[in-house]
Amino acid sequence: MSRELNVEALARVEGDGGITVTLDGKKVKSVTLDVHEGPRLIEQLVRGMTPADDLNVIPRICAICTLSHRYAALRGLEKALGITPPEKTQLTRELMMLGENVESNSLHTFLLALPDFLGYPSAVAMLNDYGDDVKRALRLKKFGNHVMEVTSGRIVHGENPIIGGFGKYPSRKQLDEIRVKAQELVPDAVRDVELFASLEYPAYSEAPMVFMSVNGLKKKYGFAGDSILISNGKEVSCEDYKKLTNERVVSHSFAKRSLYADKPFTVGANARMVNMGKRLDGQAADMFKEHFNDRWLTNPLYNNLAQAIEMLWSLEHLPEACEAVAAMDDPKIAQPTRLTGSGTGAVEAPRGTLYHHYEIKDGLIDVADIITPTAQNLDDIERHMKLTAEKMLAEGKSDPEVRLGLEMVARAYDPCISCATHLVRLKRV
Amino acid sequence: MHKLRDAPGETEAGLRAELESVAGQGRVYVLGLGYLDKADDGAGVLVAHALKKLFPSYSYSEHDGVEGTVLDISEKKEDATVFFVDAADLHAPPGTIRVVRREEIDDREITTHRVAVALMAAILERAGKGCAVICIQPETIEFRAQTSVPVKEAVGKLTAALSQVMKVRD
Repeated sequence: MSRELNVEALARVEGDGGITVTLDGKKVKSVTLDVHEGPRLIEQLVRGMTPADDLNVIPRICAICTLSHRYAALRGLEKALGITPPEKTQLTRELMMLGENVESNSLHTFLLALPDFLGYPSAVAMLNDYGDDVKRALRLKKFGNHVMEVTSGRIVHGENPIIGGFGKYPSRKQLDEIRVKAQELVPDAVRDVELFASLEYPAYSEAPMVFMSVNGLKKKYGFAGDSILISNGKEVSCEDYKKLTNERVVSHSFAKRSLYADKPFTVGANARMVNMGKRLDGQAADMFKEHFNDRWLTNPLYNNLAQAIEMLWSLEHLPEACEAVAAMDDPKIAQPTRLTGSGTGAVEAPRGTLYHHYEIKDGLIDVADIITPTAQNLDDIERHMKLTAEKMLAEGKSDPEVRLGLEMVARAYDPCISCATHLVRLKRV
Repeated sequence: MHKLRDAPGETEAGLRAELESVAGQGRVYVLGLGYLDKADDGAGVLVAHALKKLFPSYSYSEHDGVEGTVLDISEKKEDATVFFVDAADLHAPPGTIRVVRREEIDDREITTHRVAVALMAAILERAGKGCAVICIQPETIEFRAQTSVPVKEAVGKLTAALSQVMKVRD
């Protein structure tokens, strides 16, 4: 007997996509994450532009990780142009990334992922019982937005970070305000970690995983690097990103897919914790040591707890980042040393490793290649959703329970397909 | 699709009367939503920017941080109503303005690019504040296109009506 079961408007993930589970009795024939959103061809759009114009277009890819895109573009373009940015520039960029991390992780953990774990259909429904937690998340998000605004010039699509430097550096007063506020919010972030550590993480999706993240600069925990750490112990230059991502096209999706050594892999906060967790310090390190266990290596749902710990780390590091920036005089904007060259920028967006590769010829963009975290995660999302469907159906779980299990896996990756509605489709044949 | 009232938005006076009936006697805040790079999608932001010149402490846009603004208003000890202004597909002629009251705001969270309006409305409601969404029907949301003529007119009409409502409470 065949039947089809639809759930419309799967909210709380980014973008226009859907999930199709095809079942034959209790046997799962396939699980696909279908990306319906049309290709935006942005890599073609920027061909022939100057690097400065490219920088104004590229971050429009996303309104949440806009600074990650800008930072990745800056790193790629500056490498291609032979620019070494001044230390204050690098530190201010780190500051803006800390802000974006707080902003994005607070949104995802509390307002997108948490309702599932607590049995609510949405954050709105949580308000009566968890009103203080929701408002705490909004305060954190507001603060993250503020850091982004101070450093980049605007909350969304700020254009203050430019090639070779910043249009204007944050003032001492602004930095002092961020430093004080970050310290005030640390206890809130600790409570968030405790809340996420107290949740029950279903085991349906568990299977050995491969994790990738940048190797933070100066071998510290961080959101930018020149090489990629793989949880199998290997390290690869980010210039060789194509060997890691091996992009391919599939028929059911407008987003390309990635495989490493013919297998799916995961990027994101969980991957950063697996690869760089031992580099954490402060209370974030204490929390990591207390809560990290082998299940993190197999269960994508732990990405939520990883994001909470990372948000704490970001808040703890904002004061010292502010101090470091404030202690330096504003440098001149670094200028290109060549007009033809290539370079790859790799940064850690909140949802995972983001690559921007550029080839510049006579001062104009000749090739642009962007590989987003979600494109890298899609195959692993499908793999873990299939496991979830198989195990839940084998246990006789109802369709609504299976759908929720699948949605929790998809949401755990904090996917950013970009804008609009979603659809989960459970097909029984 | 939200259930919509048949708002008397055909004239500025009618629109103003509708807004007055929602706002009650308390302070009025305007929060404009949208994306200026996508033509008419930025209508709400245009309204907020125009009102900001007249009421800088009471008019905000997406660029000011939506969640933070709502959080701040919710914690103020005053009687207040927040009007969110946004472009929305009303299946109506371009430039049509409709007021969607709090009880008609769908609780589903459709967008994640920022926190859903439904959540912000619920937070305001818990804090004893009123709110409504003023929707403007776009003609085009094409990237980098100009704001259409009917939406420009709607922005002007709504700005005038809101400024009258805000003025008597300033």
